[in-house]
Formats: sequence, C-alpha cells, structure tokens
Amino acid sequence: MTTQDLTGTIWAEVDRALAGVTVRAERGVLDVIVFIPRDEVVRGLRALKRDAGLSFDYLRCLTAVDNEAEGIDVVYHLYSTTKKHNLTVKTTLPNDDLTLDTATTVWRGANWLERETAEMFGVRFRGHPDPRTLLMPEDMDDTFPLRKSHPLAEIEVLQGEGMGYTEEDR
Amino acid sequence: MNNSLFGFEINVWFDGLARLGLIVGVMTVVAMGLIYGERKILARFQQRIGPQKTGPFGLLQSVADAIKLVGKEDLRPTAADPWTFELAPYFVFIPIFLGFVSLPFLLDVNIRLLELGLLYFIAVSSVNIVGWVMAGWGSDNRYAMIGGMRAAAQAISYELPLVLSLVVVAMLAGSLNLKDIVEGQAVVPYVVWLPLAFVIFFISTLAEMNRPPFDIPIGESEVVGGPFVEYSGIRWSMFMLGEYASLWILSTLTAAVFLGGYSWPFGEDLGKGYQLLLMGAKSGLYIFVVFWVRASIPRLRIDQLMAYSWKVLLPLSLAQVLVVGFVRVYELPDVVLTAAGILGLVALVSITGRAVASTRRLPGAARTMRSEAA
Amino acid sequence: MVASPQATPEHEFETQDLLINVGPQHPSTHGVFRMVLTIDGEVVKDVVPYIGYLHRGAEKLCETMDFRQGIGFMDRTEYLAAHNAELSYVMAVEALAGLEVPERAQWIRTILCELNRLSSHFMFLGAFGIDVGVFGTPFIYAWREREAIIDLFEEISGDRMMYAYFRPGGLAWDVPLNFKERVREVLKSTRQGIRDFDELLTQNEIFRARTEGIGYISAEDAIDWGMSGPSIRASGVPLDVRRDEPYLKYAELDFDVIVGENGDVFDRYYCRMLEMHESVKIIEQCLERLQPGLIVPDKMPRMLRAAPGEVYIRTEAPRGEYGIYMVSKGGNRPYRLKVRSACLSNLQALRQMSVDQYIADAIIVLGSIDIVLSEVDR
Repeated sequence: MTTQDLTGTIWAEVDRALAGVTVRAERGVLDVIVFIPRDEVVRGLRALKRDAGLSFDYLRCLTAVDNEAEGIDVVYHLYSTTKKHNLTVKTTLPNDDLTLDTATTVWRGANWLERETAEMFGVRFRGHPDPRTLLMPEDMDDTFPLRKSHPLAEIEVLQGEGMGYTEEDR
Repeated sequence: MNNSLFGFEINVWFDGLARLGLIVGVMTVVAMGLIYGERKILARFQQRIGPQKTGPFGLLQSVADAIKLVGKEDLRPTAADPWTFELAPYFVFIPIFLGFVSLPFLLDVNIRLLELGLLYFIAVSSVNIVGWVMAGWGSDNRYAMIGGMRAAAQAISYELPLVLSLVVVAMLAGSLNLKDIVEGQAVVPYVVWLPLAFVIFFISTLAEMNRPPFDIPIGESEVVGGPFVEYSGIRWSMFMLGEYASLWILSTLTAAVFLGGYSWPFGEDLGKGYQLLLMGAKSGLYIFVVFWVRASIPRLRIDQLMAYSWKVLLPLSLAQVLVVGFVRVYELPDVVLTAAGILGLVALVSITGRAVASTRRLPGAARTMRSEAA
Repeated sequence: MVASPQATPEHEFETQDLLINVGPQHPSTHGVFRMVLTIDGEVVKDVVPYIGYLHRGAEKLCETMDFRQGIGFMDRTEYLAAHNAELSYVMAVEALAGLEVPERAQWIRTILCELNRLSSHFMFLGAFGIDVGVFGTPFIYAWREREAIIDLFEEISGDRMMYAYFRPGGLAWDVPLNFKERVREVLKSTRQGIRDFDELLTQNEIFRARTEGIGYISAEDAIDWGMSGPSIRASGVPLDVRRDEPYLKYAELDFDVIVGENGDVFDRYYCRMLEMHESVKIIEQCLERLQPGLIVPDKMPRMLRAAPGEVYIRTEAPRGEYGIYMVSKGGNRPYRLKVRSACLSNLQALRQMSVDQYIADAIIVLGSIDIVLSEVDR
C-alpha cells in the first residue's frame, strides 16, 4: 500500500514483519514512517521488536503531535541496537476518543514518555502501570498544554505584531 | 599536686575553677585558630586562597563568623522535642570540655594531674555521643535521626580500638598518669615501640571526631549535616566549637601519648616556651594530617566503616595487647615490639585492601575497557 | 510511614519502614530533583522519583518562535552542553529547510561539541567527587579545567554558557584568528587535568570500594529503559550515535567508543573518564583538518522557511542521545518540537539501580547518571 518509492529502505522487511497489520508507509527525511491504526499499534510494535530481522529493541522517543481537526498523532521512534536501523511509527487518534494501548508492555522505557504525552495531550494510555502526571502538578489533569488549543497569548503579545501564529504561516 | 596557678596558694576549688575558666578562653581562641587554619590549608589543597579579606591575611574571619553565628536567630522546629533539642549541644560540648581536665599541656601546666588520667579521659570522651543521639532524635527530622543513629553506631565501634591502643601505652608506661606517660618517653617516644597502636589510634580518633573519611553521621551529600541539620546560630556554633575543641584535645593527647609530649627529644629541663613550641609542632602535625585527609579522601559507607572496625582494627588491637603483655612479662627487649608493630602494620595495610574488596556485592571482573574502532 | 507486612515467626518484632524525602532542596540532587526513599535501616527499599520542578514549556514556546529564536531555548534546556543541544536543533532545521552546511562550519561544530563534552564531563567528575564525599577538592580541580574551556567558548561566542553560536546553515560568525592555538593550549591543560583526576579518584581505594559493584544495571535492562550515552555504554552496549549514524564529520574521524563491562557506578564514571581522552583525540584531528572557508552557505535564504515534513535528529550529547523531533507545516517556525532528553530516560532506570542498596549508594547512583534537571524537565 505504499504511495512512494521505498526501495533501498527497510520497508520490505517491516512489511513482512507486520503481516496481518493494516499498515501504510511513506519516506521521511531520514527514516521510513509507518502508519498503523491505533487498535493494532501495540501489536505491531511488539511484532517489530520481536522480529529477528528487525529487532527494534530500543525506543528512542515517544510523543504526540496535535493536528487539530485531524486528531492527535502518537509518534514512536524506534531503533535497533544490534541492526542499527531506525523506524518511525505513527498512529492517529480521533479527537473524540483519545485512548490508546500502552507501549510499556513492549519497552519499559515508554513509561515516563507516555506519562508526559498523557498529561500534555490528554491521550489516555490503557493499562499504563503508573498513570500519574510527570512534569505537571498532580492535580492538573484537565489542561493539556501542548495542544494547539491551549493559549500562549501572553508570549504572543510580548513579541508584538507579526510574531504570532498567523493564518498564512500555516 | 600544685594549687598555685597564680604563684600563691589559694583554695583548691577556686583554683580549679580559675584554670577551667582559663581553658575556656584559650580553647575558644584555639578553636577559631583551627577553623582559620583548616580553611587556609584546605584552600591551598584546592588551589584556592582561602579567607583573605577580613583582617590581615583573613585572620579575623573566624571572629566575624563567630559574631555572625551568635547574632543569628536560635531556631527550634515546632515539632522538635524542646528539652532534648535544646540540651543536646551541652551534652556534646561539656564532655569534650571535661576531657581537658587531665591533659598535660606542658610540664606542670594542666588543670588537675589525675593519677588515673588516661582512664578518666577515656571515660569522659565517649559521653558526648549522648548529645549526638539527643540532637538527632530531638530535632524530629529524619535526616537528623539517621545521622544520630549512625553517630552512635560509629562511636561504639571505634571506641574499642581507640581504648585498646591506649591500653597498650599504659602497659608500656606502667601508669595511667599522663605525666608519667610523657616522662616515660624522655628518650624514645612510644610511636617507635608501638607503630601499629599509633596508626590504629589515629584512625580511631578520626572516627571519634567524625572527621573524613568517617564523617558518615554528618555526611553532607547524604544526610545533609546529620544531627545538626535543624540547628542554627549559637547552638550550632556550640557543636562546631565542640568539634574543634575535640580536635585540639585529641591532637594534644596524641602528642603526649605517642609523640613524647613536651619531653622528647630535649628533656624536661627546657623552658616553657620551648615546650610550648614542641607541643605546638607535634599537635600541629597531627592536625595538619587530619586536614590533609579531609581534602583528599572520599567518605566510607556505613557498612564498610563497621566492617573495618570490627573485622580489622579490633582483632589487630587485641593482638597488640597480647604481644605487649608477652613482651612485658618475659622482659624481652623493646625492639621486639617495634618488629611486631611493623608486622602488624603490614597486616593492616594488606587486610584493608581485602576488607574493602570483600564488600563488593557482585563478582568483580578485571577493569578493562573494551574499545571499538569507529 | 508505611507499615511493613505482617510479622512472621522469623521476625520477632515488627518494624516500620521510614520514608525520607530527598530533594528538591538537597545538596546531592544536582538541581531540583526529588526522590522519596523508603528505607529499612540504612537500606533503600523503594525509590519514587519526582520531576517537573524546572518545567518551562520549552517545546510549546518554540512553536511560537521562529527558527533562530528557538536556538536560545535549546541552550537553556541543556545548559551544561549547550553546543550539543543547539546542534540537534539546527540540524533539524537544516534537514527541513534543505540547507547544506559548509565544510569549515562542520569542522568547527565538531570541535566545539567535543570541547563541550569535555567541559560537561569535567562538571560530572567534580560533582561526583562531592557525591562520594571528598570535600571539594575534585570539584575545584574539575572547575579549573572547565573554566579554561568556558573561557575559550566566551572568546568564540561571547557567552559562557548560553552560546547561541550555531545557526541554521552554519555558524553565527567565524572563530577568532588564534582559534587553533587557543584550543591546543586548552587541550594541554585538559590532558593534565584528566591525569590529575585519575590520580585523585580512580586510584583511591575508598573511592573504588564505594563505587564498584554499586548500582548495577544489565545491558538488556538498560536498552529496555532506553538509556543512552555513557550510562548505557558502561553496561556493555556499544551505543554511540557518533559512530552508528555519523553526523557532522564523525565519519571521517578516528576514535574509539568506550564500552564498560560491569554496568556499575564505577564503570559509568570510568567510561566518561576514558571518553574524555577520545574527545581530546577527536579535537586534535579536527584541528589538523580545519581549513579556511565559508561558515554559512553561499545562498542563504533571507527568510528561513522549512518545507512541510518531519524529522527526528539525534546526536550524541555528553549525557546521551539528545534528539529533536521537529514537525513543520511550512512557515518560519516549527509546528511541533519535541526534545528527546537523554537524562529523562536514564532517570527512569534509577529505581531499578538503587533499590536494595544503602542510602549513600542511592546518592552516588543518582550522581553517576549525571542528570541535568533542566534537560529532564525542559
């Protein structure tokens, strides 16, 4: 289901490892980006980790991107310490249902990264072993600062005209 | 016993009190001098200059600090136990102060020349641990409590090697009177006959004073000052004064008991001035080494500290007592003692390495670092 | 206080575990880090770390600032190795804006990043010396060496910590004329400084007794927790972005990746020590090959605009992998910026490393992963 030319990348191997998972890929600036639907993402990640040819045993980074109307993307950056290759996995959550299975069952290191993503974007990770806030105050569970809807008005005022986020910039 | 401090006979009690008062004054000055000296010496070890702005060469720095400390508010946490908290500094300070009573500073310059001076010193020197535990418990602070408990454990462990190494000296001198002990070293100081006892004594005094590497009770990076964490102002300065007073006491005792005191090497006929210089040099050497150790050695962990005391220092000091007893009973030449002592030192050094190695909790592998070419 | 489980016949009396709160104001937490230790006597039974005291929302702020303004923020996330932090950021911008960095700028960047690694590791050594309980001496020794490097940075960029010297496309301005001589001068004192340290700490019996076999973490666990930098290499994982995915000029340089064996505190310390020798080696090679030339591309766009897309740039900062995930939807500012903090991931493993050790060990375990709280909290 590729839309771009992905020869010379690890896409072929990833496609084989992810047999049975609905998946779509595109070429990023450095790494291949793989889109997996959210119901299958943890299964896919586990398959990517266990696959002998890929063995993505290292979670570099886990974060989210708020695409406003199109929902929130959760992004996983994977790495293999033995095979030395990278992969970006993305999954899109619709705005009305921001729940996702936790990846802590795959890598323990996902723990704090998921806690941060949860408090910053309001994504709920099902089955997370320690669902407290990480950086924010403990009682601050209704504000999600990294969402685009969260205001940063004061800063934009301080920077004066033309420095704010204007429509044409998008 | 002479009751003539001021050159004429006066009431015994008044004389004692006057001498104590004199000691308090001198001790304060000496403690300030030691603080200044420590700061200067440590600074030189660390490529700094140290205090230099207050007075000539920064000499008045300690005075300024003292004035600042006295002027500070004397805080007591609400939850602290008032009596325990406020009495603790006295329980630390007074026993240290009592230790001065039997010390032979110079020939016939002392407060009271007790026949059992050494025993008396040992008895009072360990009482101050009560104050440490009181400070730790009374502060109602968990760091303080851990520090107080550590101090108690440490003091009990290191009291034994300390006492046993002094027992050896008493056996050799045949007396517990510190004056007799000094006189016994008119020709050869005891450190020559008892090198092992001297080293054990030195290590134990470091632990007794809670100086590095045994500053576990007050470990700044772990328990943030231990029992003193809640103290401020005058009470805290009493702890500090006690610490430096005990440094002075132990340096004087080391000089008197192992290094020949005011007697060796020029005999007792020299004037008081020379004796003062001699004592100053000997105790100054001890103090300098203590500062040196502080500047260069990391802190031990509590279990390593206990293991070192009970498994290394204590057996060696017991063996030392046996050897000295043997030599004295069968009247062997004193050189045997030196030989045994050096043998003991070799054992101490080699066991130290092994004792440290045995506390590793993982099988130690060779420390080679593998490099992988780019 | 937490009550212990039911007293069993072997335990005649019931004891209580004690909770002690270490930080945020504690001399050994290297900033504003807080951990709650559950202790049984002197033994740590549980560690609960709390972070976030230094959270300033750098990621959110960068979304409102254009690419040049973000550089200053990256300095402030990783203030002990600001050059390395800037590097990830400007590389991300360059990747999205399609800028080619001239040769000379790349060599200078490599030199400055390695120098910053040296200064950061000196900071670690000094602070670690205090953690294990030497009164200040290693700290001042380390400070002397770090000071020399920072003076050099000041001459180059005009600032001692927050350089903002790397710019998208190259550098802010060229280095001073006597750059090579000054760097060689600094390296000379640095080499001596590393030797001093070896004698002061590494060869000290008490230091070895305190650090060897403490805070063990296995290679598998370290990978699982996502640790990076010297902290994971000490466990025997040869993970180094400089070698695995070379950026700047690292592909052309000859250097070793230092890998430990035992995964304990001593190995983490010693890996850094040996890494400093490698950094000196790298800088010397760079100085040999540094040629005059441009420091920004010929055709630098007047207004920096990134193409839509996303990139995850990773570089090897002194504490581990410093990653920048940047999403652009066009325009002159990032749509989303995520800083992947090496310390955050390293800190996650703290609990596993310090449980069942003594209190004093928990402190040096924390010291050995060399956290910078502003990088953890961002």
